[in-house]
Formats: sequence, structure tokens, C-alpha cells
Amino acid sequence: MTLLKKNPQAPSAWQDEMPVTNRYTYGIAGERFFRAIKDDGRILGTHCPHCNRTYVPAAIFCERCLSELNEWVDVGTTGVVHTYTSLFVDYDGEPLEEPVLIAFVRIGDGGIIHRLDGVDPDEVEIGMQVEAVFKPASERQGSILDILHFRPV
Amino acid sequence: MTARIKDFPGTPLSEEDFLEGKVLYLHADMQGIFAWDTGIAIGSYLGGLKDGVILGSRCRHCRKTVVPPRTVCEWCFNPMNEFIELEDTGTVNTFSLCYVTWDVKRIKEPEIPAVIDIDGASPHHGIMHKLGEVEPEKVHFGMRVKAVWKPPEEREGAITDILYFKPIEEKSS
Repeated sequence: MTLLKKNPQAPSAWQDEMPVTNRYTYGIAGERFFRAIKDDGRILGTHCPHCNRTYVPAAIFCERCLSELNEWVDVGTTGVVHTYTSLFVDYDGEPLEEPVLIAFVRIGDGGIIHRLDGVDPDEVEIGMQVEAVFKPASERQGSILDILHFRPV
Repeated sequence: MTARIKDFPGTPLSEEDFLEGKVLYLHADMQGIFAWDTGIAIGSYLGGLKDGVILGSRCRHCRKTVVPPRTVCEWCFNPMNEFIELEDTGTVNTFSLCYVTWDVKRIKEPEIPAVIDIDGASPHHGIMHKLGEVEPEKVHFGMRVKAVWKPPEEREGAITDILYFKPIEEKSS
């Protein structure tokens, strides 16, 4: 005889919920980067004179030569569509009525992944010039979502 | 060890820094909902707790009785032979006086988690639970304890159907 029979009273599944909360700080460079977005509606990068690279979002050290970066530059609010994709399902996998465009917008030697809006999905091109559209200053909270989306220039 | 370090590297932040808005941050609440299939052995164990019984399982080949029950013997890998109803008494194998809660809040009266060897199971086979109705300084290894159960109507087939284990006086025979 082996143990094949389960107590009929036994709960078949144990159901519960774990509280998972977190608080993320942006770090030294990220703090200054998001402050500039929140307070001034500007996008900042850091420049490495040795490697002649401009990091966007701003980084505190050069990932190529590892030296500390102190040269902060305003890189403007426009960039170039490096690549993009159309999303037809939302975060939970439900179909979307209108597809959402997500692009990697190249700024300096880096860039930002964000939404594209104000453009027909058929008309998006790689290499297209786009600019950041910010929330009103009073509504900005110091998050990447302080930029609503990018739109064609 | 950390007492000897005067200046930690990095950028220290206090709760006030967050409250006063000195530092930007993101807060996220993720959903951690889960359902875990209890299986034959643990399912029966939880069902047994609802009846006020601590269930173990026995391997006749190895003459081992384990608790909580398992369907496969850990020593010979053969299927276990039978469920065994164990006593709700036992012996403190090890314990801890815990002055922080699970989410790291300080508490004055300690929680006393303990591993309790259950009577009827093989030596040194027990379950982890809490001790209650006992002065923290009087807890000791080898202390005899008995389960304090929830009233039958409140039991739900969970390890918390046992509220805690309390010390018992026993006549030495």
C-alpha cells in the first residue's frame, strides 16, 4: 500500500498573497537627470572627454573607460527614432483598440525608450526626428512618465 | 563589526529625506498572489490539522516516521507506506527568542519560534511552530510541550490551526 489517497477534507490548493512593495531611488546621476526633467523640462547627459561619448540618460561613470563623469550637458529634447515597435496588447495581455507605438529614441550616444504619439503607425520611419512632449510642470513628479510621449518634429 | 566603521561609503538617506522630497524615488506595489497545490501528503496533513490531528507518514522499510508526512521516503526513495496519527505533544529541539517581527519591526515581548520533535515520529523529527504561555527565560532544549489548538469551528486546515505549543508538566515514570 502506498500513500495515494488524499484526505477528502484536505485543501487542494493553498491560496494567499504576499505583500511586495519597493522603493527605488535613481542614484546620484539619475537624481540629477530626473530633477532636470521635473524642474526644467530638460534632458541631461554626461560627456566623457576621453572617449568623446555623451551618455543619455546621464551616467556617473563612463562604461568604456570607467572614469568619473563631471561634464553635464543639456542634450535638448529632440532625438531620432532608432527602432520602434507597435503594441497590440496591454500589460495584462488584453487586446488594445488602438496600437501603441514604442520607440528607442536616440539622443546623444544613448537614448530613451518611450511612447510615440501624434503620428500614424504607417508613417513612422527609422531616422525620423522626434521631440519630447512634457507634462505641465505642476504635474511632473520626477519620473520618466513626466515625458508624455515623443512626437514628430 | 560595523561599529568600527565611522564613515560608510555611499549616499546615506533617511526616511525624512523621502518625506521632505529631498530625493526622487519610485514606489511600486506588485501583486504577489499565489496558489500552491498542496499535494497528497501536505494536503492530508492540513486536512488532519482541521480535525485536530498531527499526521506523519511511515516507511516500513526504513522504520522511519516523518512529520509533516511525505509520499516518498527520503532514505530509500520508495513510496511511504501509511499515514500515522501522531500525538500533539513533543519536545523542544531548538528555539529562538525573536525580538523582531517578520517585517522587521522591533517588539518588546519576543516571539518564540521552535522546532518541536513530535511524539510518535522518529527521533529528531519535528515541525517548526511557536511556543506560548511560557516565560522566555524558562524555555530550554528538551522542554516538554503540547499543542494549543484553535476551537474546531475556527480551524481552516492550516498550520495556524495550532495556535502555539505550551509547556506541560509530566510525571517521570
